[in-house]
Amino acid sequence: MSVTQPPSPSRSWTLRVRERAVEALPPEKLLADEQPTYVASWIYVFGVLSLSALGVIILSGCILALKGPGWWHFTGIGHFFNSIHLWSVELFFFFMVVHLWGKYWMAAWRGGRRQVWITGAVTFLVAIPCALTGYVSQQNFDSQWISAQAKDAMNAAGIGAFFNLLNFGQMYSYHILLLPLAVVALVVVHVLLVRKHGVVPPFALSDKLAVETPASPDGGAARPDGGEAGAEGGAAEPDAGVARAGGEASGPAEPS
Amino acid sequence: MAAVFNLNHHASYAHWHFISLSVPNLIVIVLALIVFVLAILVPFPKHGPGSQT
Repeated sequence: MSVTQPPSPSRSWTLRVRERAVEALPPEKLLADEQPTYVASWIYVFGVLSLSALGVIILSGCILALKGPGWWHFTGIGHFFNSIHLWSVELFFFFMVVHLWGKYWMAAWRGGRRQVWITGAVTFLVAIPCALTGYVSQQNFDSQWISAQAKDAMNAAGIGAFFNLLNFGQMYSYHILLLPLAVVALVVVHVLLVRKHGVVPPFALSDKLAVETPASPDGGAARPDGGEAGAEGGAAEPDAGVARAGGEASGPAEPS
Repeated sequence: MAAVFNLNHHASYAHWHFISLSVPNLIVIVLALIVFVLAILVPFPKHGPGSQT
């Protein structure tokens, strides 16, 4: 009788995955209790506002999906949750646009943060069809009108063969499963990358202050002009001061 | 809002060369620009005595 030997720990794929995960995102980064003092600005709030709006969208969307069109069209509480869902989407895009503007003007891809920028931009792009399929899933004359118009737009763009906007089942599947799954997955990756690389610092106020752009701890070194000097490794992390997540602060308010 | 404004008609549009924007969309865009500027200019609240933020 042969006895199967358990794989040695060094060859176990779970161990390798765990080691790589902890190396990429150690617990002190994943759930940091300190933030640089430069995040004490309203412009840094719009990312978490977008996340909050997304949470309300998902929660209200789940309730609408459970109850169905008859409920959201013909009952008072259904109208209420329908409105909550619509306005949380409006706020999600509003916050996301301001977040995008803020990050664009502070060149948030600096210091090895390319992937953070790219996942954020792709999330924005994927969120657009996610919202548009919602308009055509309302089950009323408004959605029929929008479907017919959007069908022509898809055909004019040459992608009409892939999507049938007059097919409610297809659009509803896109709206409540496929596209939300993609948005949430992208947001999770985006947030984990922010945790890994740290929040992007603002530009220095003058040459006197411009020493080096704080780079991701494991990202590329950064040039004083904000450009990325090299590949992975060689991070520059000036003493920018830190603030407790609860609000307590220490260290200088601006990058030294 | 419906009690204050008459919403029972098609939206008005603002035209500028080839650009055509509905007034509601224009209002939202202007609002976003105002919020963006305020987010940069308005000081962030401090968290009590001794705080340096």
